Amino acid sequence: MSTAAHAGSVGHLAFQPTGDVELQADYVVVGSGSGGSAAAVVLARAGYRVVVVESGPWRDRNDYPHSMLGAMRDMMPDWGGTVAMGDSIMPIVQARGVGGGTVINSAIMVRTPGDVLHDWARDHGLGDVFTERAMGEAHDRVDADLEVAPTPTGPDYGRSNAGLLEMLRSRGFEAHPTARNVHGCVGSGQCLQGCRQGAKRSTNLQWLPEVIERGGLVLSCAPVDRVVLEGGRAVGVRGRFRHPQNRQRGGTFAVRAKRGVLLAASATQTPLLLHRSGVRSAALGRFWRSHPGAACVGVYPEPVDMHHGATQGTASVHFRGGIGPGATLQPGVGIKIESLALPLELVAGRTAGAGRGLVDKLTDARHQALWITAVRAEAEGSCKPGLFGQPNVRYKPTANDRAALLRGLRLLAELHFEHGATAVRPGIYGLPDSIGPDQLHLLETPPRDNRGITWVLSHLFGGAVLGSDPSRSVVGPDLHVRGARGLHVVCASALPTTLGVNPQHTIMAVAQITALRLANAGNPAS
Amino acid sequence: MLRATVRWTLAAVFPSTDRLPGLDRLDTDASLAAFMAAPAVIRAGLLGSTLAFLLCPLLTIGWPLPAFLLPRDALDRHAAAMASSRIYLLRQAMLMLKTVGGVLWGGHPEVRAKLGLPLYGPDPGTFRGDDLRPPRTDAEPPA
Ligand SMILES: Cc1cc2nc3c(=O)[nH]c(=O)nc-3n(C[C@H](O)[C@H](O)[C@H](O)COP(=O)(O)OP(=O)(O)OC[C@H]3O[C@@H](n4cnc5c(N)ncnc54)[C@H](O)[C@@H]3O)c2cc1C
Ligand code: SF4
Repeated sequence: MSTAAHAGSVGHLAFQPTGDVELQADYVVVGSGSGGSAAAVVLARAGYRVVVVESGPWRDRNDYPHSMLGAMRDMMPDWGGTVAMGDSIMPIVQARGVGGGTVINSAIMVRTPGDVLHDWARDHGLGDVFTERAMGEAHDRVDADLEVAPTPTGPDYGRSNAGLLEMLRSRGFEAHPTARNVHGCVGSGQCLQGCRQGAKRSTNLQWLPEVIERGGLVLSCAPVDRVVLEGGRAVGVRGRFRHPQNRQRGGTFAVRAKRGVLLAASATQTPLLLHRSGVRSAALGRFWRSHPGAACVGVYPEPVDMHHGATQGTASVHFRGGIGPGATLQPGVGIKIESLALPLELVAGRTAGAGRGLVDKLTDARHQALWITAVRAEAEGSCKPGLFGQPNVRYKPTANDRAALLRGLRLLAELHFEHGATAVRPGIYGLPDSIGPDQLHLLETPPRDNRGITWVLSHLFGGAVLGSDPSRSVVGPDLHVRGARGLHVVCASALPTTLGVNPQHTIMAVAQITALRLANAGNPAS
Repeated sequence: MLRATVRWTLAAVFPSTDRLPGLDRLDTDASLAAFMAAPAVIRAGLLGSTLAFLLCPLLTIGWPLPAFLLPRDALDRHAAAMASSRIYLLRQAMLMLKTVGGVLWGGHPEVRAKLGLPLYGPDPGTFRGDDLRPPRTDAEPPA
């Protein structure tokens, strides 16, 4: 039985326990996060009928969890159990659900730096497509749509954010209140659980409703199993509904696309989906990259209450081009610095020790400020299908990456002390749980391998990258997947390099430029 | 039995102190039940880590006994030693226990009240199209 007519009238179809759903569209977009939604809205505005197919459920702000338990259960694939393996085990934090990463991320919006576009042109042959002008226009459009503005430094800025901003500037380093896609943020520090205030302009609130208003459809609880390829052309997708709570398998769905299929399932899922669909390329699953990060906690005599304020209100790109010993500018592996309000639940997990000693250390939870550094890592990994179909991510930060991270952590420790912290918890194995100002030198020698660091990966790139060299890219400069006309990649997996800044703005711009090219290539079907 | 063992282990990682209640004193049954129904990768990690905690006091503090037979002080030393063990996989197992225990402990209203942190409301767990959910919310687009 086909439920196509019913779906067309409501604009959204969630889990279907039985039956077969069959739909027609001009374009199908797989995944509704930063890239997928950005592309879908451009195509819908151009008059095309778009069906967005999303593996997770559609949650509105009243559905969002309060706690981290709820966030893991409701907002993350496999409860946040995805990891990258190298010489250490690194958690990969991602979202699953309508809106993807935009629902749980900190809403920081940074335009693509010019040097990145230069590298893409010089090393990847993308200079004709992702020009400064095209990217600038896309960024302008996104900024206007998502109400991007600098975080106000008023009473809701938060002491942890203000402290980092002040200390970086006191050293003469570049630092700024983050630009964020929020409207009416009250500084609840709870972005990770989804914004119950409705302030964050995540794409489930902003773009996808517009896609529906323009005649499109969102299918949720609908993981795409494969792209249907006929005669070397992508003609649709198919899969089976899955219940988000009990993981029960439901009826099937098939969406036929007259014009094309855009994949935006993220840097861990798009390479797998391409593989399952029969796309073969030496570059598939390769050139997988990240901005691995770690945190440095300062403990202050007065309460800091880092949960008060924008979740990530301060950032610095001063050392984006490289950091040398003694926090000097030195070309090489760069870092980015940010404040972060981490919920107590996660602070508890990352605090050193166990048993009474651990609980004792958490007594001062309100006195802690957590500042992080993430590395523009030179490491290159891979994302291939695992034994049970899960992403098998192999990734190992290099010695240079570790050295840059340690320099960043040392700088943060210095800044904490200069700001009045009585102790710093560096979170590095082999060092004391807590160090004083006279022990900063301990942060000079990086651990021998990655097992000494509690890395976390949330900025992911690659696996199905764009480029002109067929041996090093899956998607050509014509924006089609090689060997599969009408198939495009518009999520983080298409990015051929890291950025050294927060990625969602770049992903959105790349997705919109791709969608605009498609929209301009032909008149919408009537 | 399995759940009781996990609960006991997490309580050893987050025990009560003079100033804060630990998982030995807090009712976290519902949250733990949720973890026990989590996807296989999480359950396997949690059960494997629990097993490692129970079986490895010989490696951490040199006691040839399973953790549940250790006196209280030795149990505490075992937990701390596992967290800083030279064996990476033991440290990772402890990280898993701390992550799950941290979620249970740090989200608990008694702990949050004691620390002066805002209390959490209930997690609705609902979504569009869910029978348990009110038919419309303010954020929905027009049909
Ligand atoms: C906690 C956190 C904080 C962050 N903060 C920021 C920030 O402040 N600023 C910033 O720029 N970046 C931030 N990021 C990173 C940013 O959110 C991501 O880089 C970005 O969302 C990635 O976009 P994407 O389109 O590649 O994938 P996603 O946004 O992850 O979307 C992919 C979607 O595809 C769906 N999907 C997967 N497989 C399938 C399938 N088979 N069928 C159908 N659907 C599928 C997923 O469920 C998901 O909804 C943060 C990330 C995290 C996790
Ligand atoms: S800090 Fe709070 S109010 Fe502001 S966007 Fe994040 S969740 Fe919403």
